[in-house]
Amino acid sequence: MNIKVGDEIPELVKNPTTRQLVQYAGAQGDFYEIHYDQPFAQSVGLPGVILHGLLKAAFLGQLVTDWLGDRGTLKSFEVSYRGIDQPGVPYRCRGQVTRVQGDEVELDVWGEDPEGKRTTVGTATVLAHR
Amino acid sequence: MSTTSASVIERLRARIGVDGEPSTATVEAGHLKRFAEAIGDPNPRWLEEAPPTFLVALAPVSLHLAEAEEYGKGWLNGGNRFDYSAPVKVGDRITARGRVADVYEKTGATGTLLFIIFETDYLNQAGTLVAKLRGTMIRR
Repeated sequence: MNIKVGDEIPELVKNPTTRQLVQYAGAQGDFYEIHYDQPFAQSVGLPGVILHGLLKAAFLGQLVTDWLGDRGTLKSFEVSYRGIDQPGVPYRCRGQVTRVQGDEVELDVWGEDPEGKRTTVGTATVLAHR
Repeated sequence: MSTTSASVIERLRARIGVDGEPSTATVEAGHLKRFAEAIGDPNPRWLEEAPPTFLVALAPVSLHLAEAEEYGKGWLNGGNRFDYSAPVKVGDRITARGRVADVYEKTGATGTLLFIIFETDYLNQAGTLVAKLRGTMIRR
């Protein structure tokens, strides 16, 4: 696997909708109202409904697995949610290789809003197949 | 710190390291498909195998975190970490064992927040650990 430190991985742009949040709420079983009920979301000080953190994690997971394909195995994946994201706003997932040691590759991954603010940041470790 | 928040923190702290009721579920093809559709990932691999974050949807562990709702007015998800040790495939029977790992308050620019760190171990039908999840839930 020809992977070098500094390599950027192909970006993934998601266009989440409120409908997708409802779909995700059902598939995950997370029915916290801030993800589909506008008045409730506003009552707890949010500008409106927001994306599930774990949905953003799933987007970043797809970023990594799309790039990796069958060339290796995902060993660990960690994300921190730094800001909120709303449906109707494109969510851009990006990543970069930060370390290559033997068969082990580490990546920084992050999700950006249209202003380039990193609302989710994380890392992934993959084990490359020989 | 108010009396209410002190008592909530005390009750949650008493649970640190104590496993909650385990939950077991089978990885069903239909659930995997609905999950992959919900996250918008068309990779056909996920018809047979669990995508990276699927386990959170499979077997939620009861950690009685509803008790923490006496504190603040809303939940925030601070972060998640997954460590994988074996693949999870359709038909696998997964048991989740979870516990509160830490509870603390932290004061930042927007006020004082309550942090609850939890961890969950996922084992398959053979008793093999397939993944560990560590998460941070925040009351604000």
